[in-house]
Amino acid sequence: MTPSPVALRGVTYAYGTGDLARPVLRDVDLTVAPGEVVLLTGPSGSGKTTLLTLIGALRALQQGSATVLGQQLAGASERERTALRRRIGFIFQQHNLLGFLTARQNVAMALELDPATTERGRLARAGEMLAAVGLADKCESRPDQLSGGQRQRVAVARALAGQPGLILADEPTAALDRQSGGDVVRLLRDLARRRGVPILMVTHDPRILDIADRIIAMEDGRILPANEADAVQAH
Amino acid sequence: MNAVPRTAPAAEATLLPWAPELTGDAAAAAPSPPPRATPVLGALWLPLRLAWRQLRAERARLASAIAGVLFACVLVFMQLGFRSALFDSATALLSAMRADIFLMHPLTTVSFKPEMLPRIRASQAMALPEVQAAVPVYLAQATWRNPEDGTRRPVQLVGFDTESGVMNFPGLAPLIETLKRPDAMAFDRRSRPEFGAVPRLLAERGPFKVQVGNRQMEVVGLVEIGPSFGADGNIVMSEVNFRRVVKERQASQVDLVAIRLRPGADREAAVARLRALLPADVMVMSQPQLVAHERNYWETATPIGFIFAFGSLMGLIVGMVIVYQILFSDIASHLREYATLKAIGYSNFFLGRAVLSAALILAVLGFLPGLAISTLLYDVVGKGTFLPLEMDASRALSVFAMIFTMCGLAGLLAMRKLRDANPADMF
Repeated sequence: MTPSPVALRGVTYAYGTGDLARPVLRDVDLTVAPGEVVLLTGPSGSGKTTLLTLIGALRALQQGSATVLGQQLAGASERERTALRRRIGFIFQQHNLLGFLTARQNVAMALELDPATTERGRLARAGEMLAAVGLADKCESRPDQLSGGQRQRVAVARALAGQPGLILADEPTAALDRQSGGDVVRLLRDLARRRGVPILMVTHDPRILDIADRIIAMEDGRILPANEADAVQAH
Repeated sequence: MNAVPRTAPAAEATLLPWAPELTGDAAAAAPSPPPRATPVLGALWLPLRLAWRQLRAERARLASAIAGVLFACVLVFMQLGFRSALFDSATALLSAMRADIFLMHPLTTVSFKPEMLPRIRASQAMALPEVQAAVPVYLAQATWRNPEDGTRRPVQLVGFDTESGVMNFPGLAPLIETLKRPDAMAFDRRSRPEFGAVPRLLAERGPFKVQVGNRQMEVVGLVEIGPSFGADGNIVMSEVNFRRVVKERQASQVDLVAIRLRPGADREAAVARLRALLPADVMVMSQPQLVAHERNYWETATPIGFIFAFGSLMGLIVGMVIVYQILFSDIASHLREYATLKAIGYSNFFLGRAVLSAALILAVLGFLPGLAISTLLYDVVGKGTFLPLEMDASRALSVFAMIFTMCGLAGLLAMRKLRDANPADMF
């Protein structure tokens, strides 16, 4: 059987220590199947973003076990977590592109971590990725010359350029209008699906729930059972 | 919760993380070219390029950073230049005295206020077979009356047996015969202009009279020595003419004894033998030792060395603060972007190298115009102050090392700000 890209068992996480400890995740189990598109929804403070940062190896795991792309995160060193992050594509609420680089150079930044690539190869690959997100003619534009939707599409190209094994996205449509937001997530979903890459996306946005293979609702640091999640979705 | 997904992408599963044959992307199917770039070069070059692109993007900030480094660079160059010029000029007279060995009174700390030693020591030194000649040298200051406007100014008098050929001041050799005349003297052409335009007058009128002390002396030629701390100008004359000006001076008391060795004699051995031979009221020094002794006085007994070292340090600190500020604000205003880079797998180490690269780019970009401006200033200021200011490669290298260190330290300080770029805060 193929191992799951993401497998969490009994993950509990708290901010602060001692008496001030404020639990945000309680005994969370979660498995993402290969190629699956999973949406995480829930009210603010339900712990979904913390869950995403734990899976993305951006925080150290406190309790429980988590295996992401074959890497056990319990007790993983900073070096191991950094290495894992290179195999994950991140998409943020803001595009977070480097303002002093062109779109192509921004995408190529995701590839420079691999010493086996050449400059020519990286730029060619970045160009292909930008073409895949429909920005072939914007390769040499700087982020401030692009619209919000275009910037987020560059961010999608950057996340996918490094051939990641997993895409993590945090409210990628929050800063976009309905039309461009929907375009970006559908583009992301299509590109990821063609490459067989699973997506784990945190969103509040009811307009994009239809892209999901599975929707997981969170509340108070717990994952709601599937039937309750369906009820949430039905609203 | 681990519900069965609504669409099962089972076929792709075994091909994770990348399944180009299923994508339909022609581009994706192309295999990546074999690695050619060496990782070490890339590890240095990529952060350097990132730093350069970031610096280049904000022209005004880059310009102010370069100006800061340039300022520090010019300041340090000028301080070091003045320092070495003052030390060089302080020893100008002694450096121009080209004899092999000198005798000096042990209590003489600096040549313009010498303790006298007995003239007989010169004769005693002749006892060594390798000594060819030993001539007494008289030093004194007297006032010189400017032949053009009549103002008076102290001048350094150097009197010795000009015929002996022991002290070959540059330009002295052709004047030996004329200096034998009563009241004849040779003027230092590099003396400050306040003494009057002596070289021009000499060229126009030939030998002419000038009042030195209370006596009318005659300028018959020019030598080349250079002004020093103790004296703005020098005149050279025979021993007899010296005593005509400085009447109170006893011939038996001299200020220096200059010794010339026979050709091929070992100078260090001769110094050792003279030390053994002569009584303790003389100090025996080779010519470089004499210059070093004089220089040591100016370095240690005066605050000059400290003043210029302090000035250089201040320049470096100001430059460091400017570079630090620029780098710090660069990081602070790109904190989200740096955090993003960390999130996608860039290490603190890589970003640290980028910050350090930016510092070193600033060092190079500030140093090069700094060097050019300093060279120009050396020329202009040197002509204005009559100080021997000259750019040399070793000073340029050491200033570059200082600027490089300054920028490197600023970069290391600014790197601490990178810790604030926490990728977990990005979501």
